[in-house]
Amino acid sequence: MSLRGHLKSTNVLVETGSFLIVRLGRMYLALPADGVRGVLTPEETGHEQAVTAAGSLYQLVDLTHLFSVVADLSGLEVRTVLYSNGHSHGAIRVEQVVGLTDVERKNCFPLPPQFRCDERRWFGGMMLYEDLLVLIVNPAWMLGELAEVVSLGASETSQLVTAGPLTVGGSC
Amino acid sequence: MLRAARGQQQAQTTKRSWNVVVFTVGGMKLAARTEDVGGVSPWTDSIPVPSRTPFVQAMQKRDHQVMPVYELANRLSRTLQGDPLLCLVARHVDGPMAICIDAAVPSLETVDAAAIRPTINGDLETLGSVTIGGEDVTIVALQRLGKLA
Repeated sequence: MSLRGHLKSTNVLVETGSFLIVRLGRMYLALPADGVRGVLTPEETGHEQAVTAAGSLYQLVDLTHLFSVVADLSGLEVRTVLYSNGHSHGAIRVEQVVGLTDVERKNCFPLPPQFRCDERRWFGGMMLYEDLLVLIVNPAWMLGELAEVVSLGASETSQLVTAGPLTVGGSC
Repeated sequence: MLRAARGQQQAQTTKRSWNVVVFTVGGMKLAARTEDVGGVSPWTDSIPVPSRTPFVQAMQKRDHQVMPVYELANRLSRTLQGDPLLCLVARHVDGPMAICIDAAVPSLETVDAAAIRPTINGDLETLGSVTIGGEDVTIVALQRLGKLA
């Protein structure tokens, strides 16, 4: 009986997602990388409420206000991430761009079901990046494409969780 | 035959008493069924999570597990006491949850099930209250914590 068959390499399809990891205050966020159109320094963006790049207008998206977090947006590492999903565009100011990473789908997790309000729309899930807990932002919500948030009922929440990793956002 | 009867008797005895973990939050003595407690360990920094769920605003990484933090002290309008604070892991129906409790080391008590009184206070998920050491102690329903709020 030959072992040749066992030695044959097989192509295993591993589903991965690419993310840009950014920091805002004490919080680390992951933006699906396919929507990142550029990363600008404060000198490049100025103090305008919108940024024009490659013929597209990117309106400022204030995540500190949306998330009610305190962040120092005057530091040297502050950057503006130009983000687009094709039809909506946003300029997201962050305290620091941490890095770009590929994550296997199995390493992305839904928010625990104890989080049962609007945050389920804000985040597609979470993941670990170099021992940091990172929240995966739902781009559609961030770019203002979702209607006003409606709290999910407990039964809906559990459905989201049992459906597998990242049922909201679907970016990982 | 005798062994079986003894087993049955033991089971009945078990049902007649509850083993509880007694802990404090801001000096307030509380209890929880031992089977609802996943463990007690030193509190570590939690990671803030923007959230509109009442009293669930952070997560904590413990070993290889990430779990939400339930702000029980905040809900009870208490200020945690002592240093270092402790983490009580609640076996919640939706998964483990970390709760920050006072530095005072929790104790184990056995209480008579018949001595447990229904709690009138509807502000917190409870299994009733019981007198321990002359004090009225609320038994927190850790499995259902946050379901009312």
